[in-house]
Amino acid sequence: MGTSVQVTPLSGVYGESPLCYLVAIDGFNLLMDCGWNDLFDPALLLPLSRVAKSVDAVLVSHPDILHLGALPYARKHFGLSAPVYATEPVYRLGLLTMYDHYLSRRQISDFDMFTLDDIDAAFQNVIRLKYSQNYHLSEKGEGIVIAPHVAGHLLGGTVWKITKDGEDVVYAVDFNHRKERHLNGTVLESFVRPAVLITDAYNALNNQVYKRQRDQEFIDEILRVLRANGTVLLPVDTAGRVLELILILEQYWAQQHLSFPIFFLSNVASSTIEYVKSFLEWMSDSIAKSFEHTRDNAFLLKYVSLIINKSDLENYANVPKVVLTSMASLEVGFSHDMFVELATETKNLVLFTERGQFGTLARMLQVDPPPKAVKVTMSKRVPLVGDELKAYDEEQEKIKKEEAVKKASIIKVEEVRAASSHLSESSKGDSMMIDPPSAVASSEVASHFHGKMDILVDGFTPPSTSVTPMFPFFENTAQWDDFGEVINPDDYVIQEEESNHMVGNSKGLDAKPDEASVHLLLDSTPSKVVSHEMTVQVKCALLYMDFEGRSDGRSVKSIIAHVAPLKLVLVHGSAEATEHLKMHCAKHVCPQVYAPQIEEAIDVTSDLCAYKVQLSEKLMSNVLFRKMGEYEISWMDSVTEKTNEKMLTLLPPPSASPVHNSVLVGDLKLADFKQFLSTKGIQVEFAGGALKCGEHITVRKISDSSQKAGTGAQQIVIEGPLCDDYYKIREHLYSQFYLL
Amino acid sequence: MASFMTGGQSMIPNPNPTATPITREGDQLVLTPLGAGNEVGRSCMHMSFKGKTVLFDCGIHPAYSGVAALPYFDEIDPSTIDVLLITHFHLDHAASLPYFLEKTNFRGRVFMTHSTKAIYRLLLSDYVKVSKVSVEDMLYDENDIIRSMDKIEVIDFHQTLEVNGIRFWCYTAGHVLGAAMFMVDIAGVRVLYTGDYSREEDRHLRAAELPQFTPDICIIESTYGVQLHQPRVIREKRFTDVIHSTISQGGRVLIPAFALGRAQELLLILDEYWENHPELHNIPIYYASPLAKRCMAVYQTYINAMNDRIRTQFANSNPFDFKHISPLKSIENFDDVGPSVVMASPSGLQSGLSRQLFDKWCSEKKNACVIPGYVVEGTLAKTIINEPKEVTLMNGLVAPLNMQVHYISFSAHADYAQTSGFLKELMPPHIVLVHGEANEMGRLKQKLVSQFSDTNTKLYTPKNCESVSMYFTSEKMAKTIGRLAEKVPETGEAVSGLLVKKGFTYQIMAPDDLRVFSQLCTANITQRITVPYSGAFEVIKYRLKQIYESVESLPVEEAEVPTLIVHERVTIRHESDTYVMMQWSSDPISDMVSDSIVAMILNIDREGPKMTPIEEKTHEEMERMAQKVVHSLMVSLFGGVKYGEDGRLVITVDADVARLDVKSGEVECENQGLRERITMAFSRVQGAVRPIPKPQC
Repeated sequence: MGTSVQVTPLSGVYGESPLCYLVAIDGFNLLMDCGWNDLFDPALLLPLSRVAKSVDAVLVSHPDILHLGALPYARKHFGLSAPVYATEPVYRLGLLTMYDHYLSRRQISDFDMFTLDDIDAAFQNVIRLKYSQNYHLSEKGEGIVIAPHVAGHLLGGTVWKITKDGEDVVYAVDFNHRKERHLNGTVLESFVRPAVLITDAYNALNNQVYKRQRDQEFIDEILRVLRANGTVLLPVDTAGRVLELILILEQYWAQQHLSFPIFFLSNVASSTIEYVKSFLEWMSDSIAKSFEHTRDNAFLLKYVSLIINKSDLENYANVPKVVLTSMASLEVGFSHDMFVELATETKNLVLFTERGQFGTLARMLQVDPPPKAVKVTMSKRVPLVGDELKAYDEEQEKIKKEEAVKKASIIKVEEVRAASSHLSESSKGDSMMIDPPSAVASSEVASHFHGKMDILVDGFTPPSTSVTPMFPFFENTAQWDDFGEVINPDDYVIQEEESNHMVGNSKGLDAKPDEASVHLLLDSTPSKVVSHEMTVQVKCALLYMDFEGRSDGRSVKSIIAHVAPLKLVLVHGSAEATEHLKMHCAKHVCPQVYAPQIEEAIDVTSDLCAYKVQLSEKLMSNVLFRKMGEYEISWMDSVTEKTNEKMLTLLPPPSASPVHNSVLVGDLKLADFKQFLSTKGIQVEFAGGALKCGEHITVRKISDSSQKAGTGAQQIVIEGPLCDDYYKIREHLYSQFYLL
Repeated sequence: MASFMTGGQSMIPNPNPTATPITREGDQLVLTPLGAGNEVGRSCMHMSFKGKTVLFDCGIHPAYSGVAALPYFDEIDPSTIDVLLITHFHLDHAASLPYFLEKTNFRGRVFMTHSTKAIYRLLLSDYVKVSKVSVEDMLYDENDIIRSMDKIEVIDFHQTLEVNGIRFWCYTAGHVLGAAMFMVDIAGVRVLYTGDYSREEDRHLRAAELPQFTPDICIIESTYGVQLHQPRVIREKRFTDVIHSTISQGGRVLIPAFALGRAQELLLILDEYWENHPELHNIPIYYASPLAKRCMAVYQTYINAMNDRIRTQFANSNPFDFKHISPLKSIENFDDVGPSVVMASPSGLQSGLSRQLFDKWCSEKKNACVIPGYVVEGTLAKTIINEPKEVTLMNGLVAPLNMQVHYISFSAHADYAQTSGFLKELMPPHIVLVHGEANEMGRLKQKLVSQFSDTNTKLYTPKNCESVSMYFTSEKMAKTIGRLAEKVPETGEAVSGLLVKKGFTYQIMAPDDLRVFSQLCTANITQRITVPYSGAFEVIKYRLKQIYESVESLPVEEAEVPTLIVHERVTIRHESDTYVMMQWSSDPISDMVSDSIVAMILNIDREGPKMTPIEEKTHEEMERMAQKVVHSLMVSLFGGVKYGEDGRLVITVDADVARLDVKSGEVECENQGLRERITMAFSRVQGAVRPIPKPQC
């Protein structure tokens, strides 16, 4: 009878994999988020690849990789062409985040999962919405209204409300009910009784310390290190939580007139802050207010220097300083290089403000106790010179020739295929499986990868053994155990030659390697990636403090209980947390709690019945409403009459309608009632959970555990001997309710 | 019109209000301009519908001062206003707001866009400072403005808000930064208030949007009446040509302009022109307005309220960081040595810096004055457009007017083409013209009337305080949900349940579902009372049986003590030798039954075991008595009631005759109203006369 709703997780359930869920509403497929992880592992996107073409709209909730990272790749390779809906900051900061990731990856590898053009193309069809804007979808989605609402957590972060025929589906992941420096708390609590609530269990088991205390500890730790002449490294995201950290530091530095330099280093640092300055209307009330009154833009930074080049830090090499730099995962980016530099000295501190993604260096360092040493790969992009350049040119030539050959062979193949010959099919496959030329000497690994990717990019060439096109699949060869990647003791032997090679290389470069490499990225000078593995002794202090800006477990539970959805779907959280929250909600919130597995489609169509009727003037003129808060309520007796085109009209009943059981409406709180009675001059006190009124009368509420689940009336008992008091108190009790 | 589906009601605008006498007062929508009715200035429109009141804009009239400049607030009761919506920061739209918030009993909520609020504060502080009026004439001071800031709430474009059942959102209006057109939806009737708007995109602002939904009423500005603007490209070319030729001849250019709004647009044009003409780089451009300088931060921040062009430029650098333009504090700081371009306020050349420069430059032939916008009647700027030979300077001397005077309008108000095009797309059934001189407005009305002659469109041009009423007959829609809706009823079937109204949406549900679908909940009150009684329990049973039809004894196995159940409502348990306990669930009938039982038990105690047999009446006797009572009650209600020949009651009220069948309750009558009244009365009389019915369920 109601609107049909199906939810299918494509990723991000029972674990920390990126968020991506398919929600079908009456056959209209909405993709809620389209995330990837910092490692850009295509295997994670397999479920998405199967459904991408059937997606009708994509709703993005936060501007980080976990929520929108896969958009460019999915658009390019899976044919995800549906319009994307997001708020303005999610669009802009999301774009910058993607740029930052691409540039960081590109500096150390021949990364080609997507290009800058792919990012631009994917973000081109983003439709930007405002908070509380009711956007009416058209054509296939006719009748569906989507509206973004404040979620907290990240700037522009969104709780999506999807409405059809008066039924709400609310998608709320990574929300924060607390007001922060730059963000307002979520408005999730203002939604009452949606048909379906989809939310995450990410923090179900975490409880936070008091905010002010946490902020103080944060500052104390940083200052302690700075005063001991150390450097504090804060691995952060590109344009999300970092904003809150910057404000904390700015504010404290201004209060205490500190002079330690603070740097925000990312490939897009200056444009990030430039854009953030123009997003005041999306920020907290206090920021908006201070701008309205004094035109002080909170992000007009006075203490934090924005730099896009690591070399700018050279002058500050031995100066105590705070460096905020991306990525938070330490996998790539400036944070990776900075970590390697800083880790070997005990006076330094690496302060994590969010939990690292699974399988990343940051996560490895966050275990307790932290590892003594970690193995890292240092990579650098250098231009080709001398023989290599020659080899490259030759290779290019060769590729060109091969391409010509390939084309010819394809034409040939097609001709032959017309004659449906199986033999030539396999020969074609062979001709396309060109091994990457080994000309680029010291970057075999990277170019090998490159070669594989080429196949992936160039399309769905069937390997000679398969009948239908398929994705190439490569197994991750790294071995993992409970403590992370299995370390080969041989790696600990420092290899003289290799580090020499490294030194030689860096000498050969000009003074600003990063700029040079960025430069290399942007023009097409032939270049290669030089990488070597090394082991870093972790001597610096490591610390984790929760600045993720998500509601903690207790708050999440109370928010869900307040929202009281008719059906609840739990996603994104460890198996433990998901199970825990599921049990909790099933007991205290609503009986129908689902926690589906990947690609498990669950049907959360509401079993709600509903039909529309017209209320005739005649009926309404007899109805007397009683006002209760924002509601007005009345008992109504009527008969139906069918008027034009199957519209039912309610008319007043022709004869006296049967007496109905009376209904008492109201919510009695015993404590309030006690107050009320004492104002009426009645002796009243609590005794054993009941309210003892006067000498003999007791009023009691019978609580029933099943009541929490949403239905059922309150049970109130009044008892006592026959006396005047009894009737007096009963009268007062009645006055707390409306009788219908 | 998808939102009709989600709204609780759909409205059919009544094309001919006078032909439907049944229209109730609640269906009447009243619009009263308190300002800007047949005039330009002090915009203020009062609207009330279904007990909800909205006020649009709250401006002052720039030509008057003190209370005379206010809209006619004494025509209304400010305390009844639910929502006040401000379209943009201009004085004639926002400047009486501090007065209204601080000096009246207004208690509603105020909304404006973010950028409007930021500029409002600066603009009004400046206004308070420069308006040279006596202290008594001051409407408010700086502190009032600061206090008003706390009461103003912000709304972003397209954001939908709801206050007291009034839903509203706003669209981009062009005109100035942050200018909005408000769409208000009360019970399904939509009203669009455009404020000042422009349908033409310029250098930094978007064109006014075309709302997605057709409003039922469109309140629209008519400043430019039937005039037509020159295309923007031509205007800009004339503007830059005049400036370029003047300075290349060594002259100075004065641009008198209001500090905010158009000024920023002109600065963008100039900055870009200078960028493209390196030969001009040594010629300084100044904007001599501290206010504009203060507001520049707002322009640099709310980039997202501007058009795509600005937002694309922003990716490289902030376009409001002017490269060739510098601020000028006062004439003392101005080093007037060679050709220059100065933009100064006020726009009317009444006084201030623009006038000082004008006095200085007006007699030099190579200088030029470019008037870039709408000029108010009676100002010097209006005078010099007609290029008089001489002008009077501020010091009273008369000087020859030799400088070139150019009038190039950049005013971001809609012209006739835009207005008629906008209305043609929207096709609102009711159009209300405001914000225009009476003549211009009249001409516009004429032209629009002929344009919409073949449609049902109504045009109104109310004067200040002149109300316009429109009627909207409403069909209320309700949604039956939950248990009650498990089966869709057939014609004639009864539907009974709770009717819950929230805002303007109605839901019908079973009482048990109330908690599921609303934040309300129901309660059961169980009452337990102990009554002293020391007699035999059997006596109670005997007595009760005489009064009530249904008195059941529970078998002793189920209840440990002798137990009676009366009418399936009240349970009486013989707890001990000294008392009985009664238990029931609260509702009026059970309460009554229990009261009678209590009274009876107490009476047994008092009377002792004495029993008097009750006279048994026959059924016919009972019936006859009942009929007599019904008859006399009907007489008391309707007067002329006689027994008809077929046993029916004939009721005569005035000329109408009705026949009432006393047994079935059927009424025959020509007059519909009377029939219903009799049916209702009879059913109530029946309820009073007959014994307490057995519980239904």
